[in-house]
Amino acid sequence: MEPFDITDKQSFQKMEILETLRLVIDPELEINIVDMGLIYSVTLKGEGKIISIEMTLSSPNCPMGASIVGAVQNCLEHYFPHYKTEVQLVCEPAWSSDLITDEGKRLLER
Amino acid sequence: MSTLIKQPPSLYNLVISHYLVSALAFVALAVMVLFSSDTLQGHYFHPKLLAITHTAALGWGTLVIFGACYQLLPVILETELFSYKLGWTSFALFVVGLVLLVCAFWVFDPGLCMQAGSLFLLSGISLFSLNTFITARKVKRQNIYQEFIITACIWLIATAVLGVMMVFNFQHPFLQQDHLQFLKLHAHMGIGGWFLMLIIGVSAKLVPMFLVSTQQKSSYLHYSYYLLNAALILFLLDTYFNGINFKTYFIAALAFASVVFWLAYIFYCFKSRMRKTVDVPIWHTLLSFFLLATAMVIIPFIIYYQLAGNPLSIQSTQLYGTMIFMGWISSLILGQSFKTLPFIAWVKHYQHLTGKTATPMPADLYNKNWLKWQFVFFCVFLICIYSGLLFRSPILIQTGLICFSLTALVYIANLLLIIFHKPDSKYGTL
Repeated sequence: MEPFDITDKQSFQKMEILETLRLVIDPELEINIVDMGLIYSVTLKGEGKIISIEMTLSSPNCPMGASIVGAVQNCLEHYFPHYKTEVQLVCEPAWSSDLITDEGKRLLER
Repeated sequence: MSTLIKQPPSLYNLVISHYLVSALAFVALAVMVLFSSDTLQGHYFHPKLLAITHTAALGWGTLVIFGACYQLLPVILETELFSYKLGWTSFALFVVGLVLLVCAFWVFDPGLCMQAGSLFLLSGISLFSLNTFITARKVKRQNIYQEFIITACIWLIATAVLGVMMVFNFQHPFLQQDHLQFLKLHAHMGIGGWFLMLIIGVSAKLVPMFLVSTQQKSSYLHYSYYLLNAALILFLLDTYFNGINFKTYFIAALAFASVVFWLAYIFYCFKSRMRKTVDVPIWHTLLSFFLLATAMVIIPFIIYYQLAGNPLSIQSTQLYGTMIFMGWISSLILGQSFKTLPFIAWVKHYQHLTGKTATPMPADLYNKNWLKWQFVFFCVFLICIYSGLLFRSPILIQTGLICFSLTALVYIANLLLIIFHKPDSKYGTL
């Protein structure tokens, strides 16, 4: 994820979106997808009316892939009803365990 | 940009059907051994033992692996399954063949029923393999998991072809060698070529995924693959021409080295795991690996007793067979069923709700306490059956088999809980 930029007026909104995405849980590992490191970027497009998410999966063709992507879409549509959402699934760079946040590591060690 | 594979509606029914029939075969297996426990101490070429072994290997082991493969092949090979219709046809042929073959073995009628059963099974296996081969052909990047799975299917077909030949040989003898000689080849193609090859390939991909492992010694998998195939080919050629002899020790050592490399791979995955909690399905899986390693330790004793003409070779072969089918394979399925089936059921019931509202997780679809009891019953079964077989104690064997039946009952009850799961009305319906 790109670092928080205080000079970018959309940064607070992006952070809010990212925090909301913590509600989406990986069904197998039972930790949220943000701390799993699955979200690569959050962008506001179309004069700030389109939320665009770039994300990946822990494994290409993950059996839960459609559920996780669907959950991201559901979550954004539910909590940001006045925005359009775009979810772009990418496989490069491939996900690795290095992307798991410290909080994610703590949750996995429970 | 990545392509996303959605769970097709037909996949759910196909996978569930395989798991359900397999669980019924497990219960049937438990009942069969419970009421014929004396056969466990007799010769392995006993008709009832043939029926029991084929119920375990085909009904319980192979059928659940077929079901799991339909669910997992897209994950492992990173492409969509070629055909669901082919999966259903394979399933129908396989189940009909299994019932005919097992019944024919039980009463030992080597006539039309046994012959038709073996041909139905071969057809079902061939269609499953064809589906796998075509699916694998679509894969852009070759990987070692794919090699394991394809090779396992080739060994499975070879096992089935030899099985059909042996069945026809009962009524129309045409095989040059002793029937028991072919039984050894048939059994080891099935155990080493099909079960072990497939389990290594699938577990090598899934175990690090489940444990979130940071270290994977993939080179070990290559060593394991070549050693196992070399051991199997040498065993087939050498045993066919010379029977069991001193060279068999060397061949067993190759197979053992293959398993050691695979277990070392698993060990590093386990050691470098980020997910520290080990749940009951993973305990079952680890126990299964231990049972396989223990079973392989028995092999040199079987060879030694056989070369010495010692009747203990029969007893040690029984111990080995029990450890393989009722130990290693059963423990693995008893664990991994709860790592695969709840997910497919969860996707069906909750996929549309995720992100909108808090939903149960896949692991909430089965009863965790029942799973703990299943593990306890299974451990007691292992302790009783192996000490019973070693010390020739019918009471211990019978106690073990009662625990095995209880394991089967708890397993099928939990499976039914997943299959017939109804989401709370507050979630609405699809």
